[in-house]
Amino acid sequence: MCGTCGCSDPANAVTLTDPDSGEKSLLRQGGIAGGTEGHHHHDHDHGHDHDLPHVHGPNGEVITLEQAVLAKNDQIALRNRGWFEGRGVLALNLVSSPGAGKTTLLERTIRELAGRVEIAVIEGDQMTAKDAERIRAAGARAVQINTGAGCHLEADMVAEAVRKLDPAPGSILMIENVGNLVCPAMFDLGERMKVAVISTTEGEDKPLKYSHMFRAAEVVIINKLDLAPHVDFDQELCRANIREVNPDARLFALSARSGEGLEAWLDFLAGEGRTASLREGA
Amino acid sequence: MHELGLTRNVVSIVAEHAGGRKVRRVRLAIGPLACVERRALSFCFDLVTEGTVLAGASLEFLEAEGDTFLIKDYELEEAA
Repeated sequence: MCGTCGCSDPANAVTLTDPDSGEKSLLRQGGIAGGTEGHHHHDHDHGHDHDLPHVHGPNGEVITLEQAVLAKNDQIALRNRGWFEGRGVLALNLVSSPGAGKTTLLERTIRELAGRVEIAVIEGDQMTAKDAERIRAAGARAVQINTGAGCHLEADMVAEAVRKLDPAPGSILMIENVGNLVCPAMFDLGERMKVAVISTTEGEDKPLKYSHMFRAAEVVIINKLDLAPHVDFDQELCRANIREVNPDARLFALSARSGEGLEAWLDFLAGEGRTASLREGA
Repeated sequence: MHELGLTRNVVSIVAEHAGGRKVRRVRLAIGPLACVERRALSFCFDLVTEGTVLAGASLEFLEAEGDTFLIKDYELEEAA
């Protein structure tokens, strides 16, 4: 719980950095959206208690709410999703443990697809704008969200970042979540799908140990294939473990460093990106 | 891992809805895939409700399906 990770600390600040201008703005001061101290005001779900059933229980009045605890996040996510679909932007939410190679995979993907598909990136990390700078050096536009103590991105942070980044119609928006195999599974950002990255150095058993994440992902990428022989990685076992928690997941095995297996991933991306922009009907 | 934040969401939603009236019980519906720890929620609930209209309220859990995570209902204190 967050007594240890601190993501709900009222003093915690979430910031957005534009590496081009160096401009930094405060997205949120305090815990998860919906707290009284949250500075984002959302003009929905107020004054709606008129036709809810009121029952008198043995003690006091019982009021039926049936409200999802993450309703606020989900509403903003839905708005993001509508925005992406309307513009024909393919938004992907990249999740993995820290160090699985999300950023390296993005750098490589951006270089390989340069001139074919435009890619913009939202980088999520607790601290530093290093990743956004790496992405920019690879040739794509990027903004950096720093969640401070926060352990995952939420939909309102993405909404703000999208406003800043303004991804072009027909482009791909990569949202690199905070490295964490637990919390990001719960928070919808409005993406078309989650892409989970697992690296050979992490061991084959991670899909079983962190099954929520691998179940939530539509695509799973096994990265660092070049290191597999050095760490006795059993790819077949890893695939079987992924299948066990998520039989429908689309699997790619590659090395972002050596380029092995990259082609299938790039083709998939280009194809999905085309579908997204066709759906827009532009 | 984020039960404190989730509890704050629960408390802020119920407190806003109750509009100043005292709440004595909150019931949450949680599915097996919701990825939340009930013990951690209960622990946080007592801390987060302090000083709100939910202070001293009890937190109860109902079984639900899949990844459900809902505030099912809440019960007000009897009007004095």
